[in-house]
Amino acid sequence: MRRSLFRRNKKKETNNNEENFSIKIFKNLDKNMGNLKKMLDEPNDLVIRKFTIHDSKHKCGVAYIDGMVDSDLVHNNIMKSVQLITGRKPLPEAESKLFEEIYQEILSVTSIKKGTTLDDISNAILGGSTIFYINGIDNVIIMDTQGGETRSIEEPITETVIRGSREGFVENLRTNIVLIRRYIRDPNLRFKTYQVGRRSKKSLVVSYMDGIINPDIVKEVNRRLETIDMDDAPESGYIEEWIEDSFLSPFPQILNTERPDKVAAAILEGKVAILLDGTPFVLIAPATLGNTLQSPEDYYERWTIGTLLRALRYLAAFIAVFLPALYIALVSFHQGMIPSDLAFSIAATREGVPFPAFVEAMLMAITMELLREAGTRLPTPIGQTIGIVGGLVIGEAAVSAGLVSPAMVIVIALNAIASFSLPSYSVAIAFRILLFGLMVAAAIFGLYGIILCYIMLNIHLVNLKSFGVPYTTPFAPNFLGDWNDLVLRAPVTAIKRRPTYMQTHDEKSVNKGD
Amino acid sequence: MKSFKYADEKISEKEILIAIPSMVIGVGILTLPKDLASAVMAADGWIPLLAGGFIAVLMTWMVAKFASGFANQTFLTYASSIATKPVAIVLTFVFAVLFLLITAFQVRQIAAISKQYIFDRTPLEVIALTFLLVVVYAVSGSRAGLFRLNMMFFPIILFIAFSVFIFNLGWSDLGNLLPVFRTGFTDYLKGLNTGITSYLGFSILWFYIALVDQPKKAPKMAALGMCIPVGLYIMLYILCIGVFGREVTANLLYPTVELAKVVDIPGGFFERFESVFFVIWIMAIFNTASMALDVAVLAINSIFERLKKLKILLILSPVVYAVSMFPQDKVDVDSFGSMMSHSMFFYTIFVIVLLIVLAKMRGVKRDE
Repeated sequence: MRRSLFRRNKKKETNNNEENFSIKIFKNLDKNMGNLKKMLDEPNDLVIRKFTIHDSKHKCGVAYIDGMVDSDLVHNNIMKSVQLITGRKPLPEAESKLFEEIYQEILSVTSIKKGTTLDDISNAILGGSTIFYINGIDNVIIMDTQGGETRSIEEPITETVIRGSREGFVENLRTNIVLIRRYIRDPNLRFKTYQVGRRSKKSLVVSYMDGIINPDIVKEVNRRLETIDMDDAPESGYIEEWIEDSFLSPFPQILNTERPDKVAAAILEGKVAILLDGTPFVLIAPATLGNTLQSPEDYYERWTIGTLLRALRYLAAFIAVFLPALYIALVSFHQGMIPSDLAFSIAATREGVPFPAFVEAMLMAITMELLREAGTRLPTPIGQTIGIVGGLVIGEAAVSAGLVSPAMVIVIALNAIASFSLPSYSVAIAFRILLFGLMVAAAIFGLYGIILCYIMLNIHLVNLKSFGVPYTTPFAPNFLGDWNDLVLRAPVTAIKRRPTYMQTHDEKSVNKGD
Repeated sequence: MKSFKYADEKISEKEILIAIPSMVIGVGILTLPKDLASAVMAADGWIPLLAGGFIAVLMTWMVAKFASGFANQTFLTYASSIATKPVAIVLTFVFAVLFLLITAFQVRQIAAISKQYIFDRTPLEVIALTFLLVVVYAVSGSRAGLFRLNMMFFPIILFIAFSVFIFNLGWSDLGNLLPVFRTGFTDYLKGLNTGITSYLGFSILWFYIALVDQPKKAPKMAALGMCIPVGLYIMLYILCIGVFGREVTANLLYPTVELAKVVDIPGGFFERFESVFFVIWIMAIFNTASMALDVAVLAINSIFERLKKLKILLILSPVVYAVSMFPQDKVDVDSFGSMMSHSMFFYTIFVIVLLIVLAKMRGVKRDE
């Protein structure tokens, strides 16, 4: 509510800085060229080539931005065509007819259209198109010649698998769409394009499968995407934050992935994928809590190991959130609950430690976060050094200096390992945030505090929705039928239906019998 | 076109099935074996529990059946079309007060038991306040969210109850269960009194049936849901007698929690299982308290339609806290509890009879 008000205010602001370029194109070639230069303030990567068509009567010109176009395409299919083919056959005298002839027959570029305003030109040329002018005509030809350097397809670094496709998304939107199309060759696969960013004017593509997806989700996604109003969306994280249901929640309500196979699987489950130009991270919506703990590899190995891995992940999630808090509660409140042998050995290791368990845990957990952060930011060779230094500091020095107890080191290390074993980094961060809150609760109220926090966490989760889908489904609202692909990963022959909670059009996914 | 019907504020019949036991199972079961054992001989307590359970299931069914005849109408609406509007307002208001008392009782009990089993130095008031705040947080969310919470917690509660049962089987002594059928008739009546008041909570149906998606299926589901606590109570009661014997059970403060104390988890990770048991049981008590408070808010909201839910909640919760802190000691709390459950029981019977009779007399039609 507050947020929508905020947005409305924002829209009311007049865009004084934004100039309107819907100026018509002139007939005079030089004037047009001059306008283009003036608009872009003569950057040195703007290439303008004026030349005359074979019979040297008609002046024309080509403009593009160097580096953004495929220069082979410009040389071979535009310049050569216009300059060579025009010499082989007679050309019409009238400029308009010549323009049509060039548009229809001579230019050998597949994606081609006409433009009439300066706005068209600026959008196209900044997006990597080439503009073709003819003197005496107030139209231009816009040719899609996007090219230039891009990263090649590599294995995604954040989501490696042992078995499964090695392809990952790249920064180029076209390539990303192709990667999805290679997985799903269905004519009903839809790619709807939006433009986001008032300044950056980036393309954003929403992909889904018509006939499977519930139309309500598409409508809702469209509605939310249309409210986007910002200068630039550098990464899909901006889009995610703008369109998610609750920005107060630590939990990601939209998944992100670098893996085309994961996106394709989500689309086939009746979900929406949102691709943004310039980032390899594709958004998948709606998401549920169960989805965040799944990895594509669960489906590629045999189902028994898939199921066990998932169960392991639920255990990991529990350890990632609760273990240090439980340790604090047991050590500082409920020593009686620890079996006496264990209690003695813990007490022995805590001998000489000057801090209460909570301070000790906080020290270690914050050190752990610092190490993680330092490790991520640094280049790999130095990152390893950090790992070694950190390991020594945590494991050896802190203990032998008597600052922390060895038991606490084990607890925090186990907790860190558990949180990094989760397949989704964004949910792992959410758990790490919760961890600190739980430690505080455990320090104040012990087990009672932990259970109250657990209840509060559940209250938050059941009230959370992702694009109309309750976050805790299929646990609650309960769909027992969907449990075959939740903690359990049933054999593929047994997962006959798409998830019921997605309310898909086409319910069966295998064994259709036709 | 299908829409996301399951995600709106309606309640599915599955959720009613879970909501009833979630509401009924609360602090009552923790003291129940003690009260029963002091009334009847040996394991004979199962008879009043079963009889009481039968009555409770029947009443649940009747309330659900009656209320589901008025689909999508609030209690106030159909009660005022049967009796008159002023009468309906009074009826609703009394329900609201009773449900507030239930919440207050749960809050007080949880604080008292926590003090006994988890920590002894923390003041009662602080324990109660933190619990109440969590309950208020739950109620301030969506109503469907409460039912989803039931769905999330109930399996865990059942799991812990069954694990207590299974781990205790080895400790129970069949000799403790004997002799059977030696209880006198008046003692059975006394036991029945305890038995039936422990099943209260189905009155939420008066208000929640209006939110049910398919009211026709609700009575059966509600009655089925009521069978769960009946089974669970009998199971735990017999186990208590089997493990402790009648004399000890009658003198234990919280026999059901003490049962968990006997449990020895193999592997030696946890000692004092009763703390773990009680901590998990807090979820059950939380479900009861949050639904009771929510019904109270719903009832008040139907009287004062213009007030916002959150406002009512913020006015009511200090009242609940004050009431829960009012009893001075254990005896006070017990008499408060029995006063509350008796008035709830008789009031529910009174409302059923009143509404059915008036509906017949005045010929108010229920849509079948």
